Amino acid sequence: MTALLRRVDPYLKIEAYDPEAELMLLHFGPQHPSTHGVFRMDLYLDGELIVKAVPHCGYLHRAVEKLCEKLAYVQLTPIVDKNDYVAPMTNELALVMAFEALLKQDVPRRARWLRSLFAELQRVASHLLAIGTLAIDLGGALGGGTTVFMHCFRERELILDLFEAVTGSRFHYNTHTIGGNRHDLPEGWAKQAKDAIRVIRERLPEYGALTIENRIFQQRMQKVGVLDGELALELGVTGPNLRASGVDHDLRRDAPYAAYDEVKVNVVTAQTGDCFARAIVRVKEIEESLRLAECFLDGLPEGPINGGKPTKMAVQTKVPVGQTYVGIETPRGELGTWLVADGTHTPYRLKIRPASLHSLSALPYVLPGHTVSDAIAILGSLDPIMGEVDR
Amino acid sequence: MNELIHGGLYGGMIVGVLMTTTAMALWFERKFAARMQSRLGPTMVGPSGLLQPFADVVKLLQKEDIVPFQADRVLFNLAPPLGAIAAISVAAVIPFSADIIAADLDVGVLYLLAIGALGVLPVFIAGWGSNNKFALLGGMRALAQSVSYEVPLVLAALVPVILTGSMKLSAIVEFQATHHWLVVWPFFLGVPAFIIFMLAMLAEANRIPFDIPEAESELVAGITTEYTGIKFALFYMAEYVHTLVASAVGAALFLGGWDGPFAPGLGWMVAKTLALFGFVYWLRWTLLRFRSDQLMALCWRYLVPAGVVLVAASAVWVVWVG
Amino acid sequence: MTHEPAAPAPAAPRPRTVDDGSNFRHPLYQVLLDTPGLTVGTAAVDDLLTWGLTNAMWIFPMATSCCGIEFMATMASRVDIDRMGSFVRPTPRQADVMVVAGTITTKMAPRVLKLWEQMPEPKWCVAMGSCAISGDFYRNLYSVVPGIDTFLPVDVYIPGCPPNPEALMHGMLRLQEKIRGQRHGKDFAPKPDAALLKITQPSIPRLVEANRPADLSAAQERASDQPTVDEATPALVVAPEDAPEVAPLVANDFEGLLKEVGVTELPKDGPPLVPAAHHLELARRLKALGYRQLVTIAATHWLAGRGRKGAVADEVEHFEIAFVVRTVGAGSRTAAWAVRVLPGQPLLTLSGVYAGADWQEREQFDLVGVKFAGHPDLRRIMQAESATSFPLRRDHPADAPCAPWR
Repeated sequence: MTALLRRVDPYLKIEAYDPEAELMLLHFGPQHPSTHGVFRMDLYLDGELIVKAVPHCGYLHRAVEKLCEKLAYVQLTPIVDKNDYVAPMTNELALVMAFEALLKQDVPRRARWLRSLFAELQRVASHLLAIGTLAIDLGGALGGGTTVFMHCFRERELILDLFEAVTGSRFHYNTHTIGGNRHDLPEGWAKQAKDAIRVIRERLPEYGALTIENRIFQQRMQKVGVLDGELALELGVTGPNLRASGVDHDLRRDAPYAAYDEVKVNVVTAQTGDCFARAIVRVKEIEESLRLAECFLDGLPEGPINGGKPTKMAVQTKVPVGQTYVGIETPRGELGTWLVADGTHTPYRLKIRPASLHSLSALPYVLPGHTVSDAIAILGSLDPIMGEVDR
Repeated sequence: MNELIHGGLYGGMIVGVLMTTTAMALWFERKFAARMQSRLGPTMVGPSGLLQPFADVVKLLQKEDIVPFQADRVLFNLAPPLGAIAAISVAAVIPFSADIIAADLDVGVLYLLAIGALGVLPVFIAGWGSNNKFALLGGMRALAQSVSYEVPLVLAALVPVILTGSMKLSAIVEFQATHHWLVVWPFFLGVPAFIIFMLAMLAEANRIPFDIPEAESELVAGITTEYTGIKFALFYMAEYVHTLVASAVGAALFLGGWDGPFAPGLGWMVAKTLALFGFVYWLRWTLLRFRSDQLMALCWRYLVPAGVVLVAASAVWVVWVG
Repeated sequence: MTHEPAAPAPAAPRPRTVDDGSNFRHPLYQVLLDTPGLTVGTAAVDDLLTWGLTNAMWIFPMATSCCGIEFMATMASRVDIDRMGSFVRPTPRQADVMVVAGTITTKMAPRVLKLWEQMPEPKWCVAMGSCAISGDFYRNLYSVVPGIDTFLPVDVYIPGCPPNPEALMHGMLRLQEKIRGQRHGKDFAPKPDAALLKITQPSIPRLVEANRPADLSAAQERASDQPTVDEATPALVVAPEDAPEVAPLVANDFEGLLKEVGVTELPKDGPPLVPAAHHLELARRLKALGYRQLVTIAATHWLAGRGRKGAVADEVEHFEIAFVVRTVGAGSRTAAWAVRVLPGQPLLTLSGVYAGADWQEREQFDLVGVKFAGHPDLRRIMQAESATSFPLRRDHPADAPCAPWR
């Protein structure tokens, strides 16, 4: 059925469509309250209807890949932390897993469980932020949206506190190293984590009532920004955005890494592919991640947390010649690392495959035919993080 | 001559009280919103942040006044005062108590509807005069919205006029004081009309969930995008005054105005107004925003037909029962 | 005693100072000064004005990256900057303080400046986080502005990466103090700490500093050249219009397909190298076989003599473009292959097969400088349109000058 949907032409020639030049060109961004950072869309408007959308990114292009060619392997974890700054834990994980793949380095079981635990908690924090900012987009900075946002942030702080207790930093943790983790859990952390999980689980219905059960929210989101599953796959859209389009694909289950092969991961999907489906998948994933986090917390094995060889200097860690691709499931989708090593202490080429860039590449297909208000909802529901898009 | 002095005196008093109330309403709103969001709200300026609105005004007075290079200077400068005047003028006919009325016009309801409708003009002027695309979109939306919601507003306001047989606001309140409040009896006419009236008033005052003309998350700041300093303050104030006055009118038309036991009339009127006002802010900080086409659908599909039916039913009620 | 009129003293040479207005004495001003009670009054009014300015600082968030998230956390319940009367205005016209939270790139900097100029006076600027202060570790890279004070007047610096919400709150309180002080005529220029000045070296020494070319701009220019194709070198790929008709591939798995295009054994040091002529057909067949998801496209610039072992062209400079695709659902499999092209030679685009290849190829074109023939919209994506170089080429210096901010 989906194949019957007519695909929007993203390369529409605007002169041919509108020879009298009566369309209004609205530069949406790069500084705009709803672009989630610095992102620009050139919207050609017919009244309030979008005829064509031309996204422009790169306003936060920080040349991370060039920096990675310059620094030693062990110095890179804090650098990639800043890419997807809402989920730094998974950033580090994708990076060190690529190094470990070429080094053929084994990771102790406890470290793998810790990594999965952190990743799940990070997913909760990230989705909370996504829902909060989506609500702000829909409800305005001086309105009901802010209330949802504040509540989401209140819960997000609980998780940041947990991470701060482990690593000493609210984000940019630098806790994953080649062969394991750098920080073990402090005394009493498990109880604190349990409490946080319980509190968040208790409060989840609150967000539900304010967002996905809210009539206005439903009206704004349903049947808006429908992304066809086949197109999403072609574009490389991953994560909750892909699962909302009815594609049952989650790397945690389909290509397990860390400790995900030892637990059962329930993949949340929705069929409609609209903004509402994307929102609902995120809310449901919070519940699932809380369950998984509890599971990892309960079954956390004892043992060493680092199997790597200790080195005195950064330059001593040398990765053998080879090329590899490692992808993991972050809160935003598949975050991958394409690593080209030439046997020295720095990568020859390191490409980070961002999930958000691929999500944004759906915009020219999805936006036409919607209004400016819908554009906000669509952009918010895709949950892009510009640090990851532009790197 | 006497009437002139009376009008001037009460007018001045009402404007003064309205301004102070608006400032307090701003403070109240910020604290209220903060409580809803498990925050504290302003605490540092004055006791419990009570002086916060005044600090805002003092600051806004000092800001540079910028007129964008290619804006229409005349229209750009005309819009803010016009908006403030339109919002405040409505207060002239509101009966705060049996004898505190600046101008007890015979056609009070007509006057307040007419002046209320004027409120959209400065909004559109601002949207056009700013020469800013976001402002233009905001003005466009505001115009469509206000013109649409004018219809259910008038229809809903007709219900008390028909039921009480007068367009004089004091007479309407007097009628309710001697008979029943309109939301009490006949409640099947009064309550729906009251709801339609408040919804339409919210839309006229551009409050959430109807605040699409200035939707910050979509249109940056909508019509006020290019306004600085005191001009912005006028717009901001006009919005609050509009809401406040709308609450007062709603209280007078449907909730029996100054009527109530034990307390003096003024107290009852103020209490009812503030209760409605608080309700508006409760909505504001809970609900999300409609899209403009949904807003239009709500108006034309539900509110207008309901209004027409209500007016007809009121006429039938008055002729056959009342 | 008579007064001898004093001999006129020799006229003192006029001090050659610039009149800064501090010695201004207008007669009217004197009258105002002498009026009793007036100074007290004006001082009171001034205090009132200052009170208003400091207690209603509306913030324009120039939140670009990580610090923006901490900025949002400052708005949120735990710290709640609304306590001091500050909240966010989305338009610069109504804001008093611009909080630059995050890295500012050369592409963004002109916009930041424009937004700053749109703010009405009096206005202040807060640099939040080390990226805004100095560019942090992105400082020397080609696309990052090394600190916003290269083009904006900064009032308060808040260090941290990112600063805690409490730190931002502290910074705002310090800004209040600064405004009050300035209104009272106090100088708030920072007094440098002698101990801090000694720290000039970064704590982690740069590892490849020795490779830094002396003349940076020349090196950057060199990297931007499109080397012409040497006639003598065997062409690795042909222009799309000359592309020979390749027979459609029929194998049913990735290994079989590789055999069909002539790759007999899988190389140890990377993905299999596929002849460019078969590249498009391979992708088409893989998509039909269920590899429906495009994962990534990554181009590597191999300098002469640095390429992978045992290949035809490892002595000459060339690009190796890797493609990764994936099947979806349980038991997901990936397939990766690579194609080589010489500098200046285009590769047929994949965007007709996978729509997502559009942006991926644009990125590789922008950063590495690989051309894709038949691409519908081959523009730069990360760098500004005016950029000239391809920074991810290996001969592009990591420490690049980026005019006009350094």
